[in-house]
Amino acid sequence: MAIVQSRSGGAIAWRILKYALLGAGVVIMVVPFIDMFLGALRTPAERLANPPVYWPRDPQWINFKRVFTETPALIWFKNSIIITFAVTFIQLLTSSMAGYALAKFRFRGASLLFRGVLGAQMFPFFLFIIPVFFILRYFPMAGGNDLFGQGGSGFLNTYAAIILPFTITWYGIFLMRQFFMGVPDELLDAARLDGAGEFRIFFIIVLPLVLPGLATLGIFVFVYQWNEVIWTMTITRTAPDLQTLPVGIYLLRGAFADEATQSLQQAAVAVSIIPVMFTFLFLQRFYVRGLTAGAVKG
Amino acid sequence: MTIATRRSSALVAALLASSALAAPALAADKTITIATHYNQEQMAPLLACFNQYEAENPGTKIVFQQASYRDFLQTIMTARVGGTSPDIYNIYSIWAPQLIDSGTLAEPPADVVDFVNENYGKGSVDAATIDGTLYGIPTELSVYQLFYNKKLLAEAGYDAPPATWDELAEIAAKVTKKNDQGNITVAGYAYGPTVANAVHVFYSQMYAAGVAPYSDDFRKTNFLDPRAITILERQGKLFADGSTSNSVTTDSFASSGAAMAIMANWQKQSLIDAYGDEFEATVGIAPIPDDGAKPGTMLYSFLWAVDSASKVQDESWALLKWLNSPREGGLSCTGQMLNDLGALTGNLGDLAAMETGDFFTKPFVDAIESGAAKSQPNVWQASEDDRILRSYIEQVWAGQMSAKDALTAADSEVTAILAEQDN
Amino acid sequence: MTDQQDRATRYGQAPAPLPDLIDDAPPLTLRQRISSKSVAPWIFLSPMLAFGVIFFLLPIIFAAYISLTRWNSLTAPRFVGLKNYEYLLTGDPKFWGTVWNTIYFAAGTLAVGIPLALVLAYAFTRAYGQAFWRSIYWLPMITNVVAVAYIWKFLLDDSFGLVNMALGKLGLPGPGWLTNPGIAMISVILVFVWMQLGHNMLLFSAGLANIDESYYEAARLDGASESQLFFRITVPLLKPTILFVLITNFITGLSYFTLMLVLTEGGPVGATNVTALYMYKMAFEDLRMGRASAVAYILFAFILVVTLIQLRVFRRGGVEAH
Repeated sequence: MAIVQSRSGGAIAWRILKYALLGAGVVIMVVPFIDMFLGALRTPAERLANPPVYWPRDPQWINFKRVFTETPALIWFKNSIIITFAVTFIQLLTSSMAGYALAKFRFRGASLLFRGVLGAQMFPFFLFIIPVFFILRYFPMAGGNDLFGQGGSGFLNTYAAIILPFTITWYGIFLMRQFFMGVPDELLDAARLDGAGEFRIFFIIVLPLVLPGLATLGIFVFVYQWNEVIWTMTITRTAPDLQTLPVGIYLLRGAFADEATQSLQQAAVAVSIIPVMFTFLFLQRFYVRGLTAGAVKG
Repeated sequence: MTIATRRSSALVAALLASSALAAPALAADKTITIATHYNQEQMAPLLACFNQYEAENPGTKIVFQQASYRDFLQTIMTARVGGTSPDIYNIYSIWAPQLIDSGTLAEPPADVVDFVNENYGKGSVDAATIDGTLYGIPTELSVYQLFYNKKLLAEAGYDAPPATWDELAEIAAKVTKKNDQGNITVAGYAYGPTVANAVHVFYSQMYAAGVAPYSDDFRKTNFLDPRAITILERQGKLFADGSTSNSVTTDSFASSGAAMAIMANWQKQSLIDAYGDEFEATVGIAPIPDDGAKPGTMLYSFLWAVDSASKVQDESWALLKWLNSPREGGLSCTGQMLNDLGALTGNLGDLAAMETGDFFTKPFVDAIESGAAKSQPNVWQASEDDRILRSYIEQVWAGQMSAKDALTAADSEVTAILAEQDN
Repeated sequence: MTDQQDRATRYGQAPAPLPDLIDDAPPLTLRQRISSKSVAPWIFLSPMLAFGVIFFLLPIIFAAYISLTRWNSLTAPRFVGLKNYEYLLTGDPKFWGTVWNTIYFAAGTLAVGIPLALVLAYAFTRAYGQAFWRSIYWLPMITNVVAVAYIWKFLLDDSFGLVNMALGKLGLPGPGWLTNPGIAMISVILVFVWMQLGHNMLLFSAGLANIDESYYEAARLDGASESQLFFRITVPLLKPTILFVLITNFITGLSYFTLMLVLTEGGPVGATNVTALYMYKMAFEDLRMGRASAVAYILFAFILVVTLIQLRVFRRGGVEAH
């Protein structure tokens, strides 16, 4: 290949072009984040100037501390962590259980259920916003409701309202099924012959074999849930103590409207990005697998 | 201390407190939740009163909830839908018909009705009355007038505010500054992104031209009145002339990025914060320019109301009455807060005790007392009507529709909604 | 319940990992019966089935019902038949505009995003420093949409945003990216493409990695130029992936509205008001739950038809490629 390339002037030109392209893309990808970062460091006076000062002369690093002392960011942060970890854990459990059943058991209705899982993915999220809101609100025996869902506020204003609609994703089940398909049946049969119960087989023998799959789904769910806005906002509009970082920043936009406080807003935005960025940097190879697994199957 | 740090330390308090409201109610017998669109900083006098009330009435706990003004109706509606309503709201009077239709507001007990009739001006009592029934205790009154930046006008060679709209357009064009790309850096005139920024201004101009926005029975609009069409045409012309644009907002007025805007008096405190010692030298207030008709403008009112699903209704009304009764020194708790905001009130005792003689506040009080300021009509689905109207006004600003076509379309949509109340 | 079962099986028997096989078959205990091969799958599936009923089937039916009513969610719903659908399709002055905006957005993200992602993925796949490029290009993809919106709001400010300041330095005009109704949707599309670029690049580069290097070597020996390699070899061989990305992006685009909600709130002059956003605001601002549900169903039906058509095309395309 090296010989071929050295022969072709076009190949060298293409190489230069290739890196120029990638480099230009990097600028477009990164500059917005730098702009936000610089904004977080500006003083109010720099913002009020006409035209505003671009490079902060006296970088206000303290803004990153102020985000936590002067806005409810700590509460948002705590909620983001609780909700994201809860949803990730629950989804890993439910998706792997269902995926395992669909991959490794033969029972009546199995293929129908699997087709149901595939078909359910075609139903877009927006279709569920209104009805699920009311199902949570009128859920019998929850949050002061009676048997008929009257009298209380159901699951609203609780973590459950934010978490319940995300306890299962059809894509997660599908993904885990794909991973379980790779586990040899012989292994399960051997364990059964040894008298191990089905749950023991699942938790002790099979789950450890699909750790990469769990990591893939886990990072997927983690990134999605940390960044989730629409549902959390709809549910926590009246419950400020349950808001997550992105939702809190958005709903408090009125308090950030004037020049003096915009630096604080940009600092809060930076804070909302950083945890997921680090998680992602360490686990990104698993993310690739999750995306491409969907692509291969179609 | 610079302006900036003062403002941000206020934000500190505001934000810290809004996180404090997340704390679960301690073991108190009665918890009263109060929702307002005021932030913690603005609420400070009331919060002090809450503490006093809690101390005087052991077993009562008062929790404050803030929602931004833009989201406020949506927030109380969602809370209502979700069965998680606060006990007391501070609501905008035009939301009342919709809230009453859904059974959200409780009727006050007789002693509160008497209290309101004795202590409040007619205009504000009317604003809190829907179909003959009083639904709460009036609070903040806001009046629209023309704000102008004296320094920017002087720079362009004008030492007086415009008296007619043609003058306004001329001054606006002169004051406007643009950068090399043709984008405005200093605008002659400013509108803004909220519904009120367009619709309240439009209504105020209609009153200034001597025509009410809606018919007396609230079943028809007067959008097709030639005077209304002219007003919108002229607004569109400001955009076409390049004297304003969508990127300029009323917020720009506080940073000298806009020379004129029709705004309400509640902007006072933020303008004092922004201009400090230069406040009086910079900010001027004038009647809304028209073609020399009698001065006119619009006022709108807020009211304290109690949720009909509240389990502590009696306690809530008692608290509200206490908050609005005069204390030593004259001002009630609510009056103290409104006074500090530079806002006006329908409470006659409070209004008398407020400092309203300054250059800024006087024109607004005059407009109320002379009857030039008319109360915004509490029409059916007002917030939706206003949003529809805003969407058509925007199209005129953008040059996509003529004023006549836009108002014809708005009229037919709004009239259809007004008809819904009869079936 | 399953939790307790799990714990029982895990810890209850822990001291004796392998039960005695020599035992004569005793009557099955409840625990044994539950963990038998015929019952176990249903227990594994039970969370999914419960969820499927409560949060999938029930909402779909409930939404269909309320779309036939007039309901402000505070008083009892009133059955109005198909009036909501009739109003939306024939009377509503805004509905069709939002449909057009939706198609504009979805098609725009394809037209801008797919070629860009493809070219960049092509450059990326055979470049040095993969981990570096990948981390950078994925940054926007993992950033929450509120952050994206606020980052770009500042960048795209008419007079003082970095974008227009840079254009000004080059002597170019600075358009009102988010304030001009004629441009706002293009801005939203560009921001969305920026957000999604890493995602699509990833899918393409996975497809590209599957193309055997020997095709290129053979073509190079025949004296093919780089652009010929790209259009004659890469694009045809990548067709299944391209179709997959096209379909999923188009469907996502049709149902997407978060960025518009946060960045432009549908404005200016409704230029970025897509159908799903129209539905959301109708439901939670005006409390027109019935009509909003009808909007949701119409949009869903539209997306379903588009999906089915595309799936057919996809199958055919997929077959041709092999």
